[in-house]
Amino acid sequence: VNGLLLLLGLLVLSYIGSFLAAGRSLTGFGLPSGSEYLVLGFCVGPNVLGLVDRSMLASFDPIADVALGWLAMLLGLHYAFGGRHPIRTTSLIAASFIALLTAASVTAGELFAASRFGSGPPFDPWIWAAGVGIACAETTPHAVRWVIERKRAAGPLSRLLAELADSGGAVPILATAVLFLPMHEQHLPVAIPDLGWAGITLGLGILCGAVAAALLGREFRLHESFGVLLGTSLFGIGLAARLGLSVLALMFAMGLTLAAVSRHRNEMLAMVAPTERAILLPALVLAGARVEPRAAPGAVVVVVAALAARIVAKLISGWLLGAVFPAARRAGPLLGLGLLSTGALSVAIGLAFALRFPGPVGDTVLLAVAVTTIFGEFGGPARLGAALTRAGEITDASALAPDNASAAVTPP
Amino acid sequence: MSHELAPLGRDQALAQPPHHSGKGAGTRAVQGAVLLLLFAVLYLATHAFPGIHEGAGTIGAVGFLLLVGTLMSELVETIGIPHLTGYLLAGVVAGPHVLGLIDHHAVNDLTSVNTLALSLIALEGGAELRLDVVRRGLRSLAWATLLQSLALLVGMTGVFFALRPWIPFLGPLAPLGAFAVAILWGVLAVTRSPSAALGILSQTRASGPVASFTLTFVMSSDVVVVVLLTACITIARPLLEPTGELSLSEFRLLGREILGTVALGTTLGLLLAAYLRLWGRQLILVFLALGLGLAEVMRYLQYDPLLAFMTAGFVVQNLSRQGEKFIAAIHGMGSVVYVIFFATAGAHLDIPLLRTLWPVAVMLAGARALLTWMSGRLASNLAADPPAVKKWGWAGLVSQAGLALGLAGTVARSFPSFGDGFRALAIATVALNEFFGPILFKLALDRAGETSAVPAPNRPSLVPAGGDVRE
Repeated sequence: VNGLLLLLGLLVLSYIGSFLAAGRSLTGFGLPSGSEYLVLGFCVGPNVLGLVDRSMLASFDPIADVALGWLAMLLGLHYAFGGRHPIRTTSLIAASFIALLTAASVTAGELFAASRFGSGPPFDPWIWAAGVGIACAETTPHAVRWVIERKRAAGPLSRLLAELADSGGAVPILATAVLFLPMHEQHLPVAIPDLGWAGITLGLGILCGAVAAALLGREFRLHESFGVLLGTSLFGIGLAARLGLSVLALMFAMGLTLAAVSRHRNEMLAMVAPTERAILLPALVLAGARVEPRAAPGAVVVVVAALAARIVAKLISGWLLGAVFPAARRAGPLLGLGLLSTGALSVAIGLAFALRFPGPVGDTVLLAVAVTTIFGEFGGPARLGAALTRAGEITDASALAPDNASAAVTPP
Repeated sequence: MSHELAPLGRDQALAQPPHHSGKGAGTRAVQGAVLLLLFAVLYLATHAFPGIHEGAGTIGAVGFLLLVGTLMSELVETIGIPHLTGYLLAGVVAGPHVLGLIDHHAVNDLTSVNTLALSLIALEGGAELRLDVVRRGLRSLAWATLLQSLALLVGMTGVFFALRPWIPFLGPLAPLGAFAVAILWGVLAVTRSPSAALGILSQTRASGPVASFTLTFVMSSDVVVVVLLTACITIARPLLEPTGELSLSEFRLLGREILGTVALGTTLGLLLAAYLRLWGRQLILVFLALGLGLAEVMRYLQYDPLLAFMTAGFVVQNLSRQGEKFIAAIHGMGSVVYVIFFATAGAHLDIPLLRTLWPVAVMLAGARALLTWMSGRLASNLAADPPAVKKWGWAGLVSQAGLALGLAGTVARSFPSFGDGFRALAIATVALNEFFGPILFKLALDRAGETSAVPAPNRPSLVPAGGDVRE
């Protein structure tokens, strides 16, 4: 397989993905988190079939950067608005808290394992441990929506969980802004502190969003809009990658700014939303192909620590949700396990680490993310279905109803 | 949703009452400010972190050129200069020879993006050729092809030979050798720029005899140039190399190549027509696969991708009912494709070289323009063309771009002894034609009254991957 065939393969996947975006995907085909594409990538990668080697994968790094940046921009556009209906502030706060709690727990678990068993790459453990932590922080909205739509769940808990999943991505993405710092600063006249670089990352994202909004102007001309959005996005991605900053954080900030400033947010969402799956599937395959089982000494310990810490964090999160939201109380004490699924965002963060820190650090984060995603694929949706059934939001009648899925995830 | 509006054809556009784009001074001020801001940000980034992450530099370069090219084109539009010139200017200013915001590495990396753009331009060019229009203008096309090719080949050979004291790389050559090089220059002068012609037509949405004539002529000239080049290299080789022999085997290979390319293009066109008829979705991804994948395969098989894609577009337009749908999909990508293609061309322009060779380059470009005008007038008179074509038909034939540079590269590879000098002079001359040709063509279309006053319709410049272009 040469680079050209790989490129064509990715385009074919993109083609398939764009069909899956037509709406029937969630209830029709595929696993909840799309981890089959991750596994496909791993199988064609250097560790199994060897159809694609590492050097070829490296030549696709710029494409991977663009895919990640575009996905983050889409997430920013969607974020906190949930389509046409704003997400409630309480849900936003709860989702951010759960993400923070999970990230902190996993990071602590990894640091503990590293000190106890010497696992992980022989570098500053904070970088890779925090990397694994923030990459494992999300609950993928794809899996939550998959369960809600497939089981035709409807009710306050379904809505709450959908909102939590939709709005939990900001914390891990913004955390990458703190971890991704420039590699060479020798040409700068002044020293900039680490947090300063996080501010610069977000500032550049805001600038790109403002530029795009200014260029889109008052009248939404699709003739020009896609060109403007594409140009601004590539400019932002190129800037972040050039400086060694977080592409994800910068582009997320851009999408968020654009959504907040531009009066054409809904038109833009309609224009770019169909591209999500078309870009996501090739990105998942590229990430899968990069997964390295022998990422670092004690890789198994790293993975087990991540899984264990994540389960504990989610259990605590479920308990806290029950304490705060009456709707969650009826789902029982194991509600948190229903939030175990990770997916696109986690893999994107893992891939971003692999691109930014090529070698043991990036490989370790990506490996942990890949295993967590596959694990969550089997555990999460089943537990979520059980919790919603227990809460009375999935009934035999609802399974027979023609289509009440949209009512489940959108407010009245 | 506005992006679901059916795109307007040129004829429809002309039928609409004229109105302006509605971009006032405030919009232009915002565009100017954003332009300066983008330059400032990239300037800071490139100077603070030189030479890091070269792949990232390429991504940033595409985005930057896309934004800056669009803004520059909007700003120069206010003084009547075509968008293409704005794209070129953006590339020149940002490129490695002026501000250095886009380095040589990124410019070279953008070649693959250019290949994609050129494939789409060729597809569009072929699809714009309607059989009935070609049939109607056959007499005109035949005279123009004959005279433009002959006059430029012979005339520019003579001019180049006459200018040899000022051309440094001809110094070591005997007069016969210099004459052989002059013949090759004559072929170079015959090349036109399909991309520039299509770019201007896409912007102005012009419709009329000048637009039709230029389109037909420029698109068909590719085949003529390829045949002429093979013939002239065959003739020049024995004059330049004492051991060289006149061999006609090249023609056999060329014939095979052209026939193979046309056959491949026809098959591709039929497949595309079938796809449009049966599915008609995700054309962006199909075009990407064609432009990036199939073009590479064709090059490997030694077929000419430009001709193959042109044939495919022609087949879709004329042998199926999918032409309008096909053109609408390609037009949708036009604003992105042309900006990147010409802005990259601008970044490629070797300004220091132009500074060194400009006197000869100006003389050669001037002589070529003059010969184009003279032969255009003569051909139009012989073909009894409409007055507008008689007066302005030549103006669209002055532009030169990638095709001419590709041909110069072929000559450079075939004759290494003087090839580098030849290519350098070609780059300098093509730079002038590339810059002034589109301005001249737009002026001609404006004066001939063929430019549409209706702004481009509200439609996506790139149909999103999930978008459907079914009508």
